[in-house]
Amino acid sequence: MLHTVAITLKIPDNIAFSALSALRRLGVQVERVERADIWQFAGPASGDDVAASVKRNESLFNPNKHALELRESPKPQTGEAWVSTVAATYAVAPGASAAAVHHVGWRLFGKDGMPVAPATLKEAIEKLLCNPAIERAIT
Amino acid sequence: MAVLIFPGTNSEAETVRICRDVGLDAESVHWSQGASLPRYDAYVLPGGFAYEDRIRAGAISAHDPMMDYVIEAAEKNKLVLGICNGAQILLEAGLVPGTGAVRRPTAAFTRNAPSGKFICKHVHIKLCADPARCAITAALPDAAVIPAWAAHGEGRLAATPEHLDEITSGGYLAFVYAHSDGTVDDAAVPNGSALRCAGLTNKKGNVLAIMPHPERDAWNFNHPDIADRKAILAPSGGATLFRAFAKALA
Repeated sequence: MLHTVAITLKIPDNIAFSALSALRRLGVQVERVERADIWQFAGPASGDDVAASVKRNESLFNPNKHALELRESPKPQTGEAWVSTVAATYAVAPGASAAAVHHVGWRLFGKDGMPVAPATLKEAIEKLLCNPAIERAIT
Repeated sequence: MAVLIFPGTNSEAETVRICRDVGLDAESVHWSQGASLPRYDAYVLPGGFAYEDRIRAGAISAHDPMMDYVIEAAEKNKLVLGICNGAQILLEAGLVPGTGAVRRPTAAFTRNAPSGKFICKHVHIKLCADPARCAITAALPDAAVIPAWAAHGEGRLAATPEHLDEITSGGYLAFVYAHSDGTVDDAAVPNGSALRCAGLTNKKGNVLAIMPHPERDAWNFNHPDIADRKAILAPSGGATLFRAFAKALA
């Protein structure tokens, strides 16, 4: 089983705000940016067990400032790109024998409050969110 | 010469100081004064954590309005030196190695390997290109060895195999990590950097990006094995690079 966990900030996300400012400066039509740490775990454990394991890992999750979501889909949402460092695989979750893959999830929203179109997302990836020398983006 | 200050830059003071010590007319330029940049003859992007390394080290800074001026200046053959975070910015801006389009990076200084941790270590870097290949190093002796401090979490050169080949075949590799006697091997590399790279230049040789800090070994009191305690304010080996920079501007 592949389990996908998204960790987001409950407090204002300065990094997402910087990305928004930079993207606007680059001419990308975007009104809001959401950022998440996406962890994917492959192994026999249940999703709930994986989520509980992540919540116990203080280097990944701080209950005072983070929210955790166990996602149903192992793929990015509409308007979202997952950017990961090439070959970045870490064993991180205590008690979980499976390795985990980390992505940074960037979800972009337009003026209408809806996720941006694929072309806008592609533009954001190419101009700022992904350095193709060291990273890969999936949408 | 302008020493640029982005939000989060933290090495501008010692950089300005060593530049002045070697006779350069250097001053720091705050990000709110970017419009003044065209009047300078040369630029140094010092170390630090510009924009807190948000997204990636150097990614936001590479698109800062100040970099519009630096990119334009580099295209006009003015000299640009990036140190540590400044080097990361130059790679993100595509100025170095400059094998792709501007602001389309083809390489990066990324997370150290294998530890992935920040390192603070005294190192030596060795000029591995013809000194004349880069204007800033032109006055250095062949195979010059310069002491410096490596202080970074993301200093490992990484790129696709094709782009690494391009860096090698195009002569973009300016400095490699070395031992103090100039020998070069993997043990001298503190961060797993591809090609043992410590510094890169661009095609025209007017832009240089180096990861370790020579300005932090610019006076004897910075040097770990200082022999003469009475001369603690005397120039140390790291000043060599800045003297060469000054000669390039003379």
